[in-house]
Amino acid sequence: MFDYYLRLALRRCRQNVPMVLLLVLTMAIGIAACMTAMTIFRALSGAPLPGVSPYLYVATMDAREEVDKDNPDYKQPDSLLKLVDARVLVDAHRAVQQVAVAQSLTLLGDMDGRKSEQAYGLMAYGLAVQALGVPLRYGRPWTEAELAANAPVLVIDTHVAQKLFGTEDAVGRSVMLGQRSFRVIGVSGEWKPRVQIFNLAENAGSVMGQEENFFVPAQAALDAGVGPLIAGECGKGAPVVSFQSAAVAQCRWMETWVRLDTPSQLADYGRFLAGYADAQHDAGRFAYPPQAKLYGTQAWMTLNRVVPDDVHLNLMLAGAFLLLCLVNVAGLLAARFLRRQGDVAIRRALGASRRDVFVQHLVETGLLGLIGGALALPLTWLGLWIVRMQPVSYAEAARFSPGVFVILFALSVGVGLLVGILPAWRVCRQPPALQIKIA
Amino acid sequence: MQIRPILSTLRHHKLTAILLTLQVAFTCAIVCNVAFMVAKRVQRISVPTGIAENELSAISSSGIEKGENMQARQTADLAALRAIPGVRSAVAVSYSLPLNQSESSSGICPSKQALDRAMQLNSIDGSGCVQPASYDGTPGLIATLGLQLVAGRDFLPDEYVGKGKPAVAIITRALAQKMYPGRPALGQSMYDGDHFIRVVGIVDTLLRPALRKPGVDGDSLIWPQRPDGSGVTYVLRSAPQDRQRVLKAAEAALLQASPNRIIAPGQMQTYTQIRRAYFQRDTTMIGLLIASALGLLFVTALGIAGLANFWVQQRTRSIGIRRAIGATRGDILHYFQTENFLIVTAGVVLGVVLAVVLNLLLMTHYELPRLPLWYLPIGALALWALGQLSVLSPALRAAAVPPVVATRSV
Repeated sequence: MFDYYLRLALRRCRQNVPMVLLLVLTMAIGIAACMTAMTIFRALSGAPLPGVSPYLYVATMDAREEVDKDNPDYKQPDSLLKLVDARVLVDAHRAVQQVAVAQSLTLLGDMDGRKSEQAYGLMAYGLAVQALGVPLRYGRPWTEAELAANAPVLVIDTHVAQKLFGTEDAVGRSVMLGQRSFRVIGVSGEWKPRVQIFNLAENAGSVMGQEENFFVPAQAALDAGVGPLIAGECGKGAPVVSFQSAAVAQCRWMETWVRLDTPSQLADYGRFLAGYADAQHDAGRFAYPPQAKLYGTQAWMTLNRVVPDDVHLNLMLAGAFLLLCLVNVAGLLAARFLRRQGDVAIRRALGASRRDVFVQHLVETGLLGLIGGALALPLTWLGLWIVRMQPVSYAEAARFSPGVFVILFALSVGVGLLVGILPAWRVCRQPPALQIKIA
Repeated sequence: MQIRPILSTLRHHKLTAILLTLQVAFTCAIVCNVAFMVAKRVQRISVPTGIAENELSAISSSGIEKGENMQARQTADLAALRAIPGVRSAVAVSYSLPLNQSESSSGICPSKQALDRAMQLNSIDGSGCVQPASYDGTPGLIATLGLQLVAGRDFLPDEYVGKGKPAVAIITRALAQKMYPGRPALGQSMYDGDHFIRVVGIVDTLLRPALRKPGVDGDSLIWPQRPDGSGVTYVLRSAPQDRQRVLKAAEAALLQASPNRIIAPGQMQTYTQIRRAYFQRDTTMIGLLIASALGLLFVTALGIAGLANFWVQQRTRSIGIRRAIGATRGDILHYFQTENFLIVTAGVVLGVVLAVVLNLLLMTHYELPRLPLWYLPIGALALWALGQLSVLSPALRAAAVPPVVATRSV
């Protein structure tokens, strides 16, 4: 029966081509607008590090050591800690995994000084490679012993390895970082959070994550004169901190991230963190009640509004647009179906049940929806291309992905059926006798 | 024109008429809100900075030589820059310019009592203390930026400091009114927690480097302080059309004066570029909002026209009969126009309510103010016009139906 309805629907589509064109184009435009906004939204609202970030929590507390008359309130949770505090938290080993990190931007060179590469990387205290799920291609991560000894070792990614040494397997080679030579103990594959997660207070406005090209123990890097990209909050009386200075002992510049797998671990760690922070306050180090709190990656991003409001607004607008297109198409379909009451009357008189008529019309609208979806595909592609051309921070998120196809397909069939329900119901409602009279 | 026959016809097409009404209502609600958002953003991006925007350009340089005498370097650089043909004046600032996002701000109070009050409240809200944006620069800043001095005077040469805190400051009129409401701010002593700072001048407008909210965006303060970091931004004033050339010449002149510096390509901008970059996201969003509003209107117009067309085809026979028994073309035309007017009116009434509801919804999620009510009648007028325009062609076609059709069977 289904393919009979399908043939019938195809035949009907050929009858009034301008009308059918209007219907499918309206649906296509609505679907494409919605898909474009949804693609961007999906790319930005997913887990920044799939498989890792859902278990990562960032420690926040009011760790200011001086009364700050400019900003006495602690309205926005603060994730920046001094290295000393970060070390205590990491060394306590109270979470499944823990690491304190800060971003750095520096020059990596080979020993001859012939090749060098400006690269972003993470300075870390703790076992960063394991905690952040960095994929290692060659070699090994650094060990607790190397960390404790401030050993000059580092992990670079294949991109830097290729640039400096012409090969990906650069394990055992030496790299100049600052004023010291560091031994490459591991080479990682590409590691890039999909959305910015580090130091959100200072990275306000940047949406997309930064690819990290190297990972280095923080103290070893500081010893070599390499500092963080952003010195963070430095107390009064600190030496004047210039861009990327390594003199950051007085500054709060590291973020502590911990991996917690179960709610009970989360609760335990929350208590441990609060206990540590309160003890520092009681000892007179922290000037304010610390209000220590853990934030999950997603909650942290929401709190810091990483995904711009504009993206949400776009999604709502596109949704409204689709809704309007649907109402439009439903109106036109109702007119189209009711105009053919005569045909329906004859079918009903010949014994078709209401259900048959209803299904027949739904098949027709479903088919229109599919055609609309097929037309929406190039339109979505066009929409994403236009967004990519825009100088907005999230332009990179506007990429076509296989998931988009599936959603597009489901959406177009869904749209086709949804718009058909009312008109189809309306057309099958009238008794056959009346319809014959009209005919 | 009698309305009753139209209403009774519509009763036969209840579903279609209701859907069309809904469509008009949604369009009205969404377009009113979108238009309001566009207006808000346009207002935001056209905020005046108070400086001579189209005559300024900026070039940033960071020294990489350790232990360099920065003051001497600046003096030499400025001399080199002023020698460029077309440069009317040049000054050095640390980094802050209106809308360049590099803001430095610190709390300041109208008096010592106000600071005590702030400490007591543990908050600066309600204490009279404010957090203005701080600007600094070498002598000639006011004139180079083209700021309007409305009271007092520019800094005297001996008031400038390199390191340390200056004893005087120039503030904006907005800041003056906020700190000293109802009394002249000129000559008052502000207190920053350590020092008293005398207000020697008031400028009309000087916008912050980074906007916060409309009430505090004009709170700025200028220190007579020369930049003393290794990074410095030179601000050049020239004729608008000379700016690109002047920037190129400035880069060459600076590198010639001392090669030990980095001038990033992104750090050589005319002020117009700085402003455009700041509002980039808003401009994009305005484009998107306008495009979607137009898209909505277009789809609605298509829907109205499509449906009217359909109805005309469907009723060709009745139109013929009406013509045959004496209705004029005008009668038929008016019939369809009135029908459209009735449907759109119903849609608009519903749409106005929806617009307000939608606005309330948006207000809870986004920092959007209340929709001014005068947007609603304008939205209604726009939709009436849209409806009449879209129905015109089908209605004319209906009017052209000859009476003889009545004698044929359709």
